[in-house]
Amino acid sequence: MADTTDPIIEVRGLGKVFGKTRALDGLDLSVAAGEVHGFLGPNGAGKSTTLRILLGLIRPSSGTATVFGADPWREPVRSHQDLAYVPGDVSLWPNLSGGEVIDLLTGLRGGADTALRRRLIDAFEFDPRRKTRTYSKGNRQKVALIAAFARPARLYVLDEPSSGLDPIMESVFRSEIGRVHDDGATVLLSSHILSEVEQLCDRVTIIRAGRVVESGSLTALRHLKRTHFRVEGVDGRVLANLPGIQDVRVDGLTTEFEVEAATLPLVLEGVAAARPTGLTVSPPSLESLFLRHYAEPSSANDGAGEDRAGRVD
Amino acid sequence: MPAAVRLALNQLQRDRILVPVWILGIALLGFATASAVSSEFGEVGERQAIVAVAAANPAFLFLRGVPDGFGIGAVVFFQGFAFTALLAGLMSTLLVVRHTRTDEELGRAELIGSTPLRRTAPLAATLLVGGAANLVLAGCVAVGYIAAGLPAAGSVTAGLAVAAVGLFFVPVAAVVAQLMPSGHSANGAAASLVGAAYLLRGVGDAIGTPNADLTQVMSSWVSLLSPIGWGQRSRPFSAADTMPLLVLAVAAATVAAVVLITRNRRDLGASLLPERVGRSHGRLRSFVGLAWVLQRPILIGWCVGAAVMGGLAGGLGPVIADAVAGNTSLKELIGRLVPGSSADIVDVFTAALIGIAGVLAAAAGIQGVLRLRAEETEGRAELLLTVPKSRTNWLVANLMLAIASATVVAGVAGAAAAVGIFLTGTAGTPAIQLIAASLAHVPAAAIFIAAPAVIFAAIPRLSVPIGWGLLAGGLVLGQFGELLGLPEWLQAVSPFHHSPAMPVESFDPGSALVMGIVALGGGAIAAYLIQHRDLTG
Repeated sequence: MADTTDPIIEVRGLGKVFGKTRALDGLDLSVAAGEVHGFLGPNGAGKSTTLRILLGLIRPSSGTATVFGADPWREPVRSHQDLAYVPGDVSLWPNLSGGEVIDLLTGLRGGADTALRRRLIDAFEFDPRRKTRTYSKGNRQKVALIAAFARPARLYVLDEPSSGLDPIMESVFRSEIGRVHDDGATVLLSSHILSEVEQLCDRVTIIRAGRVVESGSLTALRHLKRTHFRVEGVDGRVLANLPGIQDVRVDGLTTEFEVEAATLPLVLEGVAAARPTGLTVSPPSLESLFLRHYAEPSSANDGAGEDRAGRVD
Repeated sequence: MPAAVRLALNQLQRDRILVPVWILGIALLGFATASAVSSEFGEVGERQAIVAVAAANPAFLFLRGVPDGFGIGAVVFFQGFAFTALLAGLMSTLLVVRHTRTDEELGRAELIGSTPLRRTAPLAATLLVGGAANLVLAGCVAVGYIAAGLPAAGSVTAGLAVAAVGLFFVPVAAVVAQLMPSGHSANGAAASLVGAAYLLRGVGDAIGTPNADLTQVMSSWVSLLSPIGWGQRSRPFSAADTMPLLVLAVAAATVAAVVLITRNRRDLGASLLPERVGRSHGRLRSFVGLAWVLQRPILIGWCVGAAVMGGLAGGLGPVIADAVAGNTSLKELIGRLVPGSSADIVDVFTAALIGIAGVLAAAAGIQGVLRLRAEETEGRAELLLTVPKSRTNWLVANLMLAIASATVVAGVAGAAAAVGIFLTGTAGTPAIQLIAASLAHVPAAAIFIAAPAVIFAAIPRLSVPIGWGLLAGGLVLGQFGELLGLPEWLQAVSPFHHSPAMPVESFDPGSALVMGIVALGGGAIAAYLIQHRDLTG
């Protein structure tokens, strides 16, 4: 999955310290041209800090970041040339109308594509004439999204962009991502919504406490994960001896356990030999992966992350 | 504890800094006025003279109120009451709107509204807080007057008179908050009502009838259309009468009852006047364009202030000349405001007021620069700084617009002075020279505008307090340094000290050039520093 062309975003050993707080602690991130990259992590993991460094709004304490091959801190204008950004918490000018803000933001980037602007306003069912002080959170989000998509860009940096949108508007948002992806644009999308990430992203990076804990393509990450088995009508002690099974839980004649991909054939044979009356096998769920990373205390996390073979490309 | 009281305590906690600053500020102003009158007009004869001057001049009556005898207390009350009451009114309206419409607009009221309380509880709490604040204000104003040596009984009545006006505007602002769609518009409308009360009182007093020996003026019925007029009727230091204050209190209670009923019948967030609809397409394409649109309403406000100031400078000049013709002590006082007091009294008066217009110009500019900070803390700067334009571009655009605002405000003041003189039909200073006199303050104002820009670029957290603090310091040093007898070197610290007091003094191109270069240097430093710090907020 490695790309031969230069990555659009390249981050190496990024650190950021705010007073005594270490927000980023040696973070690596690489986003190739044309990919939609999911950027995940629990609250306070350092997602927004990373994005703000990539946008040249704050300076890294250590490490390097390049966007379009330029250092965003030294050359903000050059790195912003072909970039659109949607902040996580959109704050607007209360006295301006939504339409005025859209035209201001696109105007500062060189002007909106009028047809695109009109289509987006329709698609998002947005009333551009109201003053922004009357907008709900979702409507403020729409202003930033329409402004970002109404002028073609080569890189879209989106910080939890669909928060506050209803499911219909979320699907409009997803189709816009699909459109710019088809046009060859690169997208870095920080998100909490798993279905969104699963549907949109080619690759994901999961961070915790300022460091990467997983990074790779979604398919690779799924393969890495364990398959869930639920076997009924068999004495649990029989199954407990199967090779390579983990997290075994026995409740009467029902047994649940997890299986690594490598030992799957052996386990299947063993289960068949035990002659179960019922069997449920669930695919590895992304959710369990995320929940595990999100919930672990950070000290236990470092070793666990390595166990799971950190980087998969 | 009743819910309204508990909510009131919560609102008081939010106001624990702001309201005490207002109250102490108003009380200090009362103390300063009383002290100044005692020291400047210590002699009965002097007071008699100034009262006679004022009684015979509608312009004075309009500005200050009606004189009511020439005891020290009476002169203090005449000099200071109307303006002090205006401040009390503004304190009340800002307090009430902050806890009512602004809370609704920002969604905080919704949280409270979901608790098992009566719908009117938050509003009742705000009315309580407003009442309590004005009660404390009454006490503080009274203490200020007593500390300055005024009779105790009169001081208490005067404190109550100020607070009664403030109290009246508590429920009035609550009514406005029911009607207007946003905290911003409610503040504007409520403050306008306070201003209207001041103006109505001014008109009523100006057309009042003076008695034969010019020691008193009886204001006309028009003054009684204004709560400030009613407060003035309490006559604390001559013939104290609390009846007019009771009238204000009863009126306040009645309006409070009405507003509570209104609130009980209104949807949360609903307003009588709907939010206006804006444009679907914008024409803003640049940082300067945005800065202009945001600065425009503020600039209009400062221009109105400058026009009033300039108009008074021009229009009152001849009146002053007549009035002080035979009064040496007043002549001396006005002369002390501007060095070179041997000059023509009208020019001295004009120069002093135009100097204040210079301060207004600086303030308009400072407000423009400090918008950068608001944009940063309120999270809008990150939208602006992720476009392919530099931070320097953003800062310089706002800085240039701030300087332009100061120039416009100064120009308006000068033009208004010219119109004022023209209307009085006297041959005063030519219009061009008056406008030049105002514009001569722009270089000093530019320094006050560049300074917060540098602070914003270096230590953003401090830009707002330092920006306004410097102006306040410069104002005291430059405008009142002479009056307060401060040493020359200290006065020279303020840029205003180096502005020529035209038309009394002549224009000094050297100092204007030096100040211009200092301001430009500050702007360049700010433009450099802003690229080298993290965006906060």
